Amino acid sequence: MSFTADISPLDTGRIAILSGRLDSATSGGFEKRLLELFETPGARVLLDFTALDYISSAGLRVILMGAKRAKQTQGRLVLCGLRPDVREVFEISGFLKIIDVVTDLAAGRERLAN
Amino acid sequence: MTDSALPPAQARLLDYRMPSRVEEIARLADAVEAALSARPELAFPVNLCLEELITNTILHGLGGEPDHEVRVVMSLAAGWLDIFVLDDAMPFDPFAQAPPPHLDDDVDERPIGGLGVYMVRTLMDETRAHYTGTGNLIHLRKQLQALPPSS
Repeated sequence: MSFTADISPLDTGRIAILSGRLDSATSGGFEKRLLELFETPGARVLLDFTALDYISSAGLRVILMGAKRAKQTQGRLVLCGLRPDVREVFEISGFLKIIDVVTDLAAGRERLAN
Repeated sequence: MTDSALPPAQARLLDYRMPSRVEEIARLADAVEAALSARPELAFPVNLCLEELITNTILHGLGGEPDHEVRVVMSLAAGWLDIFVLDDAMPFDPFAQAPPPHLDDDVDERPIGGLGVYMVRTLMDETRAHYTGTGNLIHLRKQLQALPPSS
């Protein structure tokens, strides 16, 4: 189970469809790609977690860095499609309170547009 | 490292040795999932705890050296899951040294680190580590909920 992030345009922003494991082995590579998405100010990015099997604190760290960078650059970062186990990690860590997480893709597109 | 601290061989769900490289953790996760096939809901939390601790061991206890071995033993008895993680690193107690995370900070203030050990403590009922003389032994325990009766 390696990690992939397929990035493509979505409405006025971009969507990254994640799959596999976002862990201590794979998060470094994703960090670079995620932060690059906010190089232009005002960028809107939706992360689709529907196919993500697993996340650890290394992955959470990268998400937090993305959220901080989004805020610094007047951009937006929204997450959708979290599976129950993954959502629980976000909950335990307190990340649900500080990261923009919505249920599904439709909700994600709406959140990103507003 | 004496094996007398570990459950007897025939009681082990898993006795797995991996090279000390973070890329090997995914392979361990597959073995854990297979070993916990009777309790699939445990695989994710157990794998999360193992990754957090083993990554710490590799990066901090072993200083990133990839040619060591980390051993993971699991057993299940009397309603408890026991997990042992053994290494041959210098004395290192992840539970003594981890700073508390800042759970109430907002996104601007929240520091990037501090989460891994906190999650292990949250997901497991007991956590302890000690140096055996030749390496560290981490022992995690989780009390299992009885499976709901099928209706």
